[in-house]
Amino acid sequence: MSTEKMLNEISDAIVSLDKDKALDLANRAVNEQMDLLEVVEKGFGEGIRKIGDLWDEGEIFLPELMLGGNIMQDAMKILIPHLKEQSQKISLGTVVIATIEGDIHSIGKTIVATMLSANGFDVHDLGADVPAERIVDEALKSGAQFIGVSALLTTTMTGQKRVVDILLEKNIRDKFKVILGGAPVSRSWVEECGADGYADNAVSAAALFKSFLNK
Amino acid sequence: MRFQDWLNDPSKTILFDGGMGSEVIKRGLKPGKLPDILNIEEPEVIAEIHKAYFEAGSNMCQTNTFGANYLNLQNHKSEDKIILINLKALENIKKSKPSTALIVGDIGPSGVFRPPIGKASLEIWQVSYKKQVEILENGVDLWHIETISDIIEMQAAIRAVKEVSSKPIISSMTYKRTKRGFFTIMGDSLEKCVDIQSNEGVDVIGSNCTLGSHEMIELTTEISKLTKKPISIKPNAGKPRLEGGTKTVYDQSVQEFASDIMKIIDEGAKIVGGCCGTSPQTIKEIRSRLENRN
Repeated sequence: MSTEKMLNEISDAIVSLDKDKALDLANRAVNEQMDLLEVVEKGFGEGIRKIGDLWDEGEIFLPELMLGGNIMQDAMKILIPHLKEQSQKISLGTVVIATIEGDIHSIGKTIVATMLSANGFDVHDLGADVPAERIVDEALKSGAQFIGVSALLTTTMTGQKRVVDILLEKNIRDKFKVILGGAPVSRSWVEECGADGYADNAVSAAALFKSFLNK
Repeated sequence: MRFQDWLNDPSKTILFDGGMGSEVIKRGLKPGKLPDILNIEEPEVIAEIHKAYFEAGSNMCQTNTFGANYLNLQNHKSEDKIILINLKALENIKKSKPSTALIVGDIGPSGVFRPPIGKASLEIWQVSYKKQVEILENGVDLWHIETISDIIEMQAAIRAVKEVSSKPIISSMTYKRTKRGFFTIMGDSLEKCVDIQSNEGVDVIGSNCTLGSHEMIELTTEISKLTKKPISIKPNAGKPRLEGGTKTVYDQSVQEFASDIMKIIDEGAKIVGGCCGTSPQTIKEIRSRLENRN
């Protein structure tokens, strides 16, 4: 099979949520010693981007989006050890992500974490109801470049600002890009917090995180 | 039974209440706290909100039990308080209710999902809802199952109510608008949802939350085409915005919301009210427009 055909088949397997086929193709790519970085970016990555577009258009919904992300993650588990063998850098960057203290709404945050992971980020998901102090500590400990903070309640949103304030107090604000998420977050709130950005949904969140890589 | 009489009276539009969560936040609820806990801790605040809605002209108001099903309480580590929270909720609304008005038992989402997102199932949901229904059954006149985004979870809730109660049921799903029409976030089409709710034998089919009043006009038109059952609509007052870091603001005016509600009634809604961001002022405005129509 030509490389191009193989990459198309991988992408199609993700879009059609065919887990067996996607994992089979991942193993085949390893055995045939393909350029795995290309396989991730133009095969699996392309598939997950198409899934994202279908979500945006209302053609697929939450279960399909999550399933696509899960298949991608399983495929990555097959590919990553071999990618390291090829001494190529796979991770686009490290992200520490959490729902802020006082807020137990974790579903949106988990979807974003899955999508970031599927898109090639190394994601440390701290869960929900996490104090701002701990988010900063974990970001420092893991050498993250990104901090993602989610809040669904307008009453807990203030904790998002607290994360930025701690970074400023510690004089380490420029070490991290801080991305906010959650239904009530808006452009003006990002500006008020002094954060770096926000996204309306998991798909645009992945695009936003990636956009910072080129800067 | 008064509710059935209201449904059977073609000239009657039944006015429901507006948002509880946003009213509670206005009164200083602490971050992350479940509003249902206030039934125990701040009973007078909850009674005061119910009273404000009844005085504004609501024919019926719902118990402050949106999050008081077993699974959701478990998410908040409060499942041991399920009896007390629901009983107190009944007490709080009874204190405020005029003799001519009705009490609606409010049932909200469980906060847990089916695979591949979570591990819930119809059976798990049904058991959880049944526990809540058993506690509320003796104090309510009818049921409102609302803000559900998975039709299987809705089926579970309807069946749980029917296991325990023979009182009327309003089943209200929450939809998002896509290019291909209205769907739940789980991918259930409006057609499928209306069909299943109808087959489950509910008395009223409705929608609430997610969509603002303007988008709900079109949704009402669509539901009217799919069912002969009465329709209930409780829209949001637009999207919330945070001001000055602490204050939640809904930009849509009460007048604009009420104008949309009049159109929603024209499109076939029998029961109207408000969801997030609506207040007793919203209900008062709708009541005055209803009076002027008659």
